[in-house]
Amino acid sequence: MKEKIKERLRERIVKWEEKSKRRFYIQIKKEDLKEVVKILFRDFGFRFCTATGVDNIKNFEVIYHFSDDRTGILYNLRVFTDREKPSLPTITDIIKGAKWIEREIHELFGIGFEGNSDLRRLLLDESWPEGVYPLRKDYEYGRREELPDSLTCSISEGVKEGRTVIPIGPYHPLQEEPEFFELEVFGEKVIGININIGYNHRGIEKLSEGKHWDQVTFLVERICGICSTSHPFAYVLAVEDLLNLEIPERAKYIRSIIGELERIHSHLLWLGLAGHFLGYNTVWMWAWKTREVILDICEQISGNRNHYAMMKIGGVRRDILNSEVDGIKSKLNSIISALNLFKKAVEDDPVIHARTKNVGVLTKEEAINYCVVGPTARPSGISTDIRKIDIKNSAYPLIEFDVPVLNNGDVYDKIVVRVLEMYESVKIINQCLDRLKDLKEGDICEEVREIPPGEGIGRYEAPRGEVFHYVRSDGGNTPTRHKIRAPSYMNVLSNEVSAVGGTVSDAAITLAAVDPCYCCTERIQAVEFNKVKYRWDDLIKLSQEKTKKIRKRLRE
Amino acid sequence: MNKLKILTKSIWVFHFASGPCNNCDIEILDILTPRFDVERFGIKLVGSIKHADCLLITGMLTRKGVVRLKEIYEMAPKPIAVVCFGSCASSQGIFKNSYNRAVPVDEVIPVSAYIPGCPPRPEAIIDGIVKVVKKLRGEI
Repeated sequence: MKEKIKERLRERIVKWEEKSKRRFYIQIKKEDLKEVVKILFRDFGFRFCTATGVDNIKNFEVIYHFSDDRTGILYNLRVFTDREKPSLPTITDIIKGAKWIEREIHELFGIGFEGNSDLRRLLLDESWPEGVYPLRKDYEYGRREELPDSLTCSISEGVKEGRTVIPIGPYHPLQEEPEFFELEVFGEKVIGININIGYNHRGIEKLSEGKHWDQVTFLVERICGICSTSHPFAYVLAVEDLLNLEIPERAKYIRSIIGELERIHSHLLWLGLAGHFLGYNTVWMWAWKTREVILDICEQISGNRNHYAMMKIGGVRRDILNSEVDGIKSKLNSIISALNLFKKAVEDDPVIHARTKNVGVLTKEEAINYCVVGPTARPSGISTDIRKIDIKNSAYPLIEFDVPVLNNGDVYDKIVVRVLEMYESVKIINQCLDRLKDLKEGDICEEVREIPPGEGIGRYEAPRGEVFHYVRSDGGNTPTRHKIRAPSYMNVLSNEVSAVGGTVSDAAITLAAVDPCYCCTERIQAVEFNKVKYRWDDLIKLSQEKTKKIRKRLRE
Repeated sequence: MNKLKILTKSIWVFHFASGPCNNCDIEILDILTPRFDVERFGIKLVGSIKHADCLLITGMLTRKGVVRLKEIYEMAPKPIAVVCFGSCASSQGIFKNSYNRAVPVDEVIPVSAYIPGCPPRPEAIIDGIVKVVKKLRGEI
């Protein structure tokens, strides 16, 4: 494959670097960017992960990360642009999934994208001063901008007559976090959607540049409370990629155990909320009750119910005692009966079928175009799972597990995939725990003293999909650049296609089906309700009423 | 004083999140579910601030969030108990150097109680609720 690419690109390659076996960096001229992106994305079928902006002081650099999902190799296109008038050609006409990242780089670095007409602000608020770019190096660490005295909130303009805009969100208690979609509707039918985000932005990428390498693990843990081990996992993998380090076997197993425990509790959490959106509050309560068992195991291992702080560059922070393994196993296996119950409920209940089958469909083609990942992509027939292809420093290459893939792309398949994944997770944890018994206690960490100059990329399959971390070091105590891309960042945007064309009462479950995590995506939005017809509670009510009707009809 | 006492019967809570990591928010929902089940005491989450006796704030308060917080507080029926939930809401926590931060919550609106922790344990949350009730009754 490598040779093929070299041959295809030939004189367009300015510099070809191989930082490790799975990380290739290709420097190209910015005039060639579009052409090369087309070749990689369309002809070779690589998936676009994200783009990283870097301020090199003398110039700007943007790295476009492409993943070959068959082999797990990352091809990174590096382009430079000058500092005076930074500008690059847009790639959104080739890859729809690049819409947000171009807006983000535009507002945080001030790099323009020729041909992209939609460079509205994504994360920063309207009162943020023009021409101030927080991720540039001349923006001091810890600086903040003054807030104006009065601010107003606005709903987007330009709605045609006869149509109504329904804002969904944001502050409803049963969403675990605020989120805001503007649905444009005609009668009952959804004809357009505007996803408005930016409220949860905490500037973690900048904060990371002021923290020691070891402290960053605690910071990235607090990107998201639900994927609170996925982000540190990807981060330590990135640093280990930079160091080219292999960790002790015992640490690998412990890492995977924590990762999979997190997957189970996250999926149970989602399952409960999905049940609630459909009007089955009992499912919500039962799923969360089962989830407590998993949290107990996490507490036993790490000392905390969430935010486990288990990851460390070079290994893990805490060991699991061999004498505790059997207890953990029996606790873990006690949830299987609950999983069977949920599986049967999903398989047998005609109401769930009626509410979720052929609803919110995301076709394979669109899934590729929007670059979606994880349990949003796998129901659409894309079999990518980072655990299978690209996590060297974990137990996944050493054990056996399956990746459930389905083909319909509707909400039903999204539920089924998650339920099946929980069984796989239980299987993985059991295998890891068995292996732990044969290994010596205490051998859990390689000592790392210095981080040399260089760059590294780490990826992990979080409950919601691929987490992507890029770090760059100049040999100092802190990262000079740390790019984070959470899975929801790619998945949420796909609502543009999956929710449009459905009815209003289906919108709640469709939007929830990607398992959006806005804290990960670092965004949140609020809106004033004065002109508004429906709110999120009304939509849930609508959704629940529809379930009731269907249930009645089915009984008759 | 009597007015405040009424609040202590069954506290209805409005949950406001601004730049949290989600963990506090999840733990808030968690104490409603079967293991801890504070709904037994009439405590529940409501969708509108106008129904609420208590405003629960999570997160480090972002620039976009602070405007809404002020507005929501103004809309709230008074008296209302304001609780800062988690380290971030109490002190901006690990995000205190962020460029997108606003000011700490207690510089914007008066706060009645803080529940620290990252995230606070369910037991700590329940303890916090009890203390809020006691404070409203004038016992502390």
